[in-house]
Parts: sequence; structure tokens; C-alpha cells
Amino acid sequence: MELPGKAEANPTKAFFVRMITRDISLADCILDLIDNSVDAAWQLKGAKPSLFSNTTSLSAFHIEISASALKFSIRDNCGGITLDNAAKYAFTFGRDDEMEHDAYSIGVYGIGMKRAIFKLGSVIQIRSTYSVTSRGKSKNESFRVPINVTKWLAAKAWDFDLEADEALPEPGLQISVTRLSESTSRAFGSPEFLRDLRRIIARDYALHLHRGLKISLDGELIKGWNIELRQSKNFLPLRDSYKDEETGVNVEIVAGMAAPPPESSEPDDVKDRDSRSGWYIICNGRIVVAGDKTTVAGWGTPGWPKWHPQYEGFIGLIFFTSEDAQALPLTTTKRSVDSSSGLYQRSMPKMREISKEWIAYTNVRKQFTDKAKALEEEAKPVTLYKISKNAQVIFPKLVGKLKVKPANISYLIEKKRAEKLADAFGDINMTYRDIGLRSFEYAYEEFVGKD
Amino acid sequence: MSSFHVVNYSLRTNKSIQRNLVFEGARILKMNLRLEKLGYIGFGSLWFTDFLTAHKSLGIREMYSMEVDKIGFARAKFNQPFKTVIVQYGSCSELLPNMLAEPAAGKRPWLIWLDYDKGLDEEILDDLRSAIELAPPNSILVVTINCKNLGKPNQRVTRLKTLLGGIVPDELSTDACQDDRIAHTLLDLLSDFLVSVAASSARPGGYLPAFRIAYQDGTPMVTVGGFLPSKQNMAVAAKVISSRSWPARVSKPIVVPPLTLKEAASLQSQLPRGRPLSRRAVRSLGFDLEPDHVRSFEMFYRYYPFYAQISV
Repeated sequence: MELPGKAEANPTKAFFVRMITRDISLADCILDLIDNSVDAAWQLKGAKPSLFSNTTSLSAFHIEISASALKFSIRDNCGGITLDNAAKYAFTFGRDDEMEHDAYSIGVYGIGMKRAIFKLGSVIQIRSTYSVTSRGKSKNESFRVPINVTKWLAAKAWDFDLEADEALPEPGLQISVTRLSESTSRAFGSPEFLRDLRRIIARDYALHLHRGLKISLDGELIKGWNIELRQSKNFLPLRDSYKDEETGVNVEIVAGMAAPPPESSEPDDVKDRDSRSGWYIICNGRIVVAGDKTTVAGWGTPGWPKWHPQYEGFIGLIFFTSEDAQALPLTTTKRSVDSSSGLYQRSMPKMREISKEWIAYTNVRKQFTDKAKALEEEAKPVTLYKISKNAQVIFPKLVGKLKVKPANISYLIEKKRAEKLADAFGDINMTYRDIGLRSFEYAYEEFVGKD
Repeated sequence: MSSFHVVNYSLRTNKSIQRNLVFEGARILKMNLRLEKLGYIGFGSLWFTDFLTAHKSLGIREMYSMEVDKIGFARAKFNQPFKTVIVQYGSCSELLPNMLAEPAAGKRPWLIWLDYDKGLDEEILDDLRSAIELAPPNSILVVTINCKNLGKPNQRVTRLKTLLGGIVPDELSTDACQDDRIAHTLLDLLSDFLVSVAASSARPGGYLPAFRIAYQDGTPMVTVGGFLPSKQNMAVAAKVISSRSWPARVSKPIVVPPLTLKEAASLQSQLPRGRPLSRRAVRSLGFDLEPDHVRSFEMFYRYYPFYAQISV
């Protein structure tokens, strides 16, 4: 028998496309496309670290997204991809170690755009207009990349055709996708999906939107989340920074009380529950983990209690900033962190100590609720960008006469009746705890009289 | 307390117009999409007004009525208008998923009209979710609720967010939940809820919003609904529903006041006409009406009930 010498191990295109699109959500794909635009804008502005001290404005840039059950498009004025970049790098699957990285970028793996368009649909058109300077004069050049995924999958070559194109109104990139996949089309037809997408963009690009970047979805500008922490003489948010010696990555932490803890910590007893509490992990300006209450940010790991609704109101943000995005603890989907990253592991004890301060406060608070509420009321919201340096988070030290021995009364009644009673008490959104207390006080006064 | 203690369904003008619009929509869908075996699921109460129309106008045979009140159930069984109406005892949340899960039920499309006499609550949303997830292809889903039970105006945004979560736009204002505007807000939110549930439950044919009616029935009421087509019927259904002559999506609330037969007949004798009927024209007939009422009558006179329907 004559051996062929080598066993073929080349991936099939279909397998490759299936694999790269399976493990990412549709919303995260769209964020990948936004990341590319943001990176391009950041490069045009000189690519500086995305620290608070850096006041780079992004107000000249806009990203317009439109999504319907039939079509998706994203268009920016962030400079576009050059023909050379398109021919050599932008359409390769993954980045070569030798390739140069954009400084302070969010993109790192070189897969985002390809994965996103494959996830979205099968007829794709990418158009780019970019500015070139020759003999001191600058002019715009344009090209397009039409991709028919079905035909591309059937062909042997992995390349995409580059064709000459008319110029876009401004240097930038435009990606249009039609023949959307069934799941994409369904999602884009859902008002809930689109409203959630809007909320995710408002949250995850809060820092870029604060710098003036404009992002619109279906013609409506998205307003960035204004991150605020409460501050007073009793409540002082922490703001601290250091350089990670091993990697040279800048780390900055801001943490404190964003809102008073809830009246009731029963899981189903808070109306319109605010899910923003928890830890935020930010890599080169992009929020990759938001409001984390899981082991990702440390909750429930050794020496750190599991998240409980009692801890609501706490927000902690940890910013990793690096010229080389490869040093950041980013995953390819940018929706979590690489928990095996030494940089991230080294930062966790600091996050834990801050979290424990808050946990301790909410525990003691239960004994001194009235006093705590009064102090919390005094603390006023201060925007993230105006919080001063302060190496220690400060919460009030509650001391005083302990409450008299309490009796814990609990009972089950039909939910519908509880809501009716809340409405009759004058507030349909009243917590069950307050309905119980009010009913008790009512019965007490009726049968016992005033104390 | 069930509303059969209070009202006779067949005699309310705006309710009757709304019912006629819903059944006219159902009739158009049945005809264009050849839904010969269409069945009906609803709350027949004691009067079975909708069941009478379903059978007599649309030729529907298989019909289920759900009744949660024990005495109401006994009376409903007594008042059952046709042999093919099955009255079931229990709440919609208990009965509907089981009914739709029956193998026989899966073989035909259903017109499911959940015509509640209460305001939005979790139970209603759960019922709608079950209906969208379980209704066989080519079913029609319609829901009617009143605009009450959402608390005071300044509590309504929170209440709606508690009930509907991410469906509620972040920018929903207290103002949009005040007075008559709450009906418009509920129409939008309920419609978005149904579209979103259908999208997340990945129905192969999706969901086409088709019914959108606000009307006054002592209190502001809203009716929302749509068609759950099979994949094959999607295009035809979309064309039917988006046609200009589609009757069940009305831009203004139905606010026709109770009119005497003489008044209604005089007004009708002026219609249809090129220019809108003015208040002055009504005065010249020898009586008077609010401009809103004149406009509403002109919009819906073709569906105005001219005789008291008698449930027999």
C-alpha cells in the first residue's frame, strides 16, 4: 500500500462558518461591528489611552445602524478601510502574530466583522471610502466587497473579490446585509430585541457616547448611560489606579453606592427591579461585562459571598487600558473576561475587598434601617467622571441602640389580592413587605390602639 | 366578580361595533386563506354573543367557551346556544394550554378571542404567551382588556415595566399613561408584546399584527391581535392584512354614543358622502352631537347595530 504521506486537515468553509457564528449572540455581533467603527475613530484621533484624564472628543463621528426583518446596515464616517488593509488584513480570518495591532483598540482577534456578517445573513455588501494623500494632496478612494455566502461556500478559494465603487458621502465604512438568516430576521422583527439592543449599546459604549460619539439605531440617537455614584461625607466612592507590573496594563477602579439598597430583598418583591448593580469590566473603554453578579466578577468564589438582592445598589467598575489589546483579559465575543488571565486574577482581590465593604454595610444596615435611609438620602449622585481620587471606599459606620427584639411574620396570600390591596393603599407598586407592614399597623391600631 | 352580573354583552353599541370589526377581519382571513375548519375559543359568558356571530356569520362549528365562575358555568351550560359549543369550567390559564395541546386541536386553526373584562395583569400575559406558543398554524389571536388596574397615573410606568419588562420603552412618560392616552399606550405595548413573544418562540410563520381597536365601553377598552400564519400562508396573509380595505385596524377610538333608532337612521341617511359629516349638518337634521361622536359614527356606521340582538 502506498501511503499518501499526509492526512488532510483543512477545515471546510461550511464548518468554519458554523463554528465561528454558533457561540456568539446576534447582539454581540452587532457590537463587534460597532467596535470596528469605534476603533477606526479612535485611530483617526491619534489612539491615546482611554483614561479619564484623556479628554479626546469623538463628537465628529457617527455610526448609523438600521435593522429590520428584511435588511441590516451599519454605516460610519470613521475613515473607512484602505484598499491595502482590505487586501492584506481586514478579510483574513484571525490575526497573524506578526500583524501590527492598532494601539488602544478593542478589536484583537481579527474575527469580529467576518463572524458578524456571516451570522447576520448571506448577501453582503461592504463599501469603503478612505482618504489618501499623494504629493501633498488628499483625495478619496473607494472600493466594495460583495459577498454571496452561498456562492462563497461552494467555491474553493477563501478570498473575497474587491471591486471599484462609487464614493460614500464621507470617508467611512458601510456594511449592508440582506437575505437575513431566519433567526436574525425574527430578532430584528421583535420590538423587545431592538429595545434591548438599544439599552446594551447605551450601556456598553457609555464612555464613548460621553465623549460625543453618536450612535443611532433606526434613525433614533442613542443616549449613553450616565453612570453615577452617590457621594456625601458618609458615602465616599473609591477611585484608585495602578499599573499591573507584569503586563504594564493600566488598571483603574471606581466603586460605591449607586442607589440605596432595596426595601425588600425577596427576589420577587421589587417592582421594576434595577439590574444595573454589580461589577463592570471595561477594556480599552468598552464595557465587556456589565452588572455582573456571578463568579465571573468573583461573587460566590472562595472568601466572597454569592450575590444576594440585598446587595443591590452597589456598582463597581474596573478599567483595563493597554496600548496592546492582546494584553487585556478579553474573550473573542467581548461578552466576558478570560478568567485565567493573570492580569484579571491579580485584580480580583481588590474587587473582593471593596465588595465585602458593601456587603458588611448592607448587613449592619438591617439593624439601623431608619438611620441608614436618612444617611443614604443625604448622599447625592455624582457622575463617574467627577469622582475624586480616593483609595478607600467609605460607607457609614452604623452604631446605636439596637432595635428591640423583632418578630418575623410571614404568610402567603394570593398575589392578585396583594396587588389589589396595594392599589387600595394608594400604590400599586408597593412591595409585599410594605403591604404586610401597613396591614399590620392598620390591624394593630384597630384592635390594640396607639402605643 | 364576573361581568355577566353587570352587563348584557349584546346591547352595547361600541362593543358591538368592535365585535363586528373583529369578526369582519376574521371573515376576510378565513375566506382568503381558506380556513374552512376554523374553530373558536372564547369567553361566552351567559350571552354567547360572539359565539352566535362566529357560527352564524363565519360558519364556525367547533367552539369552546371558558367559564371560571362556578354558578356562571352552570348558567353558561344552560344557555349554550349550539350543540357544538363546549363550555369548560376553569380559568383560561388552566384550560387554554390543555385545549391547544390536544392532538385534535392541533389539526385545525382557531380563532382565539380572549375578551377579558379586566385590566392587564400577569395572568393575561401568561395566557397570551401560551396562546402564541401553542396555537396551531393559521390561528387568529385577539385579546381585549380594559385600561384600568394600573394604579394612579404616576405609578403606571413602573407597573407596566413590572408586567412587561423590556418591552416598555425606557422613555415611556407618565403623560403617555394619563387620561385617554393610556389606551394608545396599551395598544402599542400589547402589540409589541405579541410580536416579541412570537419572535422569541420562533414560530415558523411568525406573527402578523392585524387587530388594533380602541373603544369606549363605559371605560376605555383596547383590542389587539394578529394572525399566526403557516410558513406557506405568510405572504398572502401579509397582503390581506396590509390591504387598505382591512377593517380591524382603526386609527381613532370608537366613541359612538347610544343613539335612538330615529337618530341613527337620520345620520345614516346622510352617509356615505364625499365631505365629512359636520356638526352643523347634524343640527340641520334636528338634533345635536359632539363632533367626536359624529366622526366616530361616520367612521363605523357600517358596523353600527341597528337592532337589539336577541340571544336565542
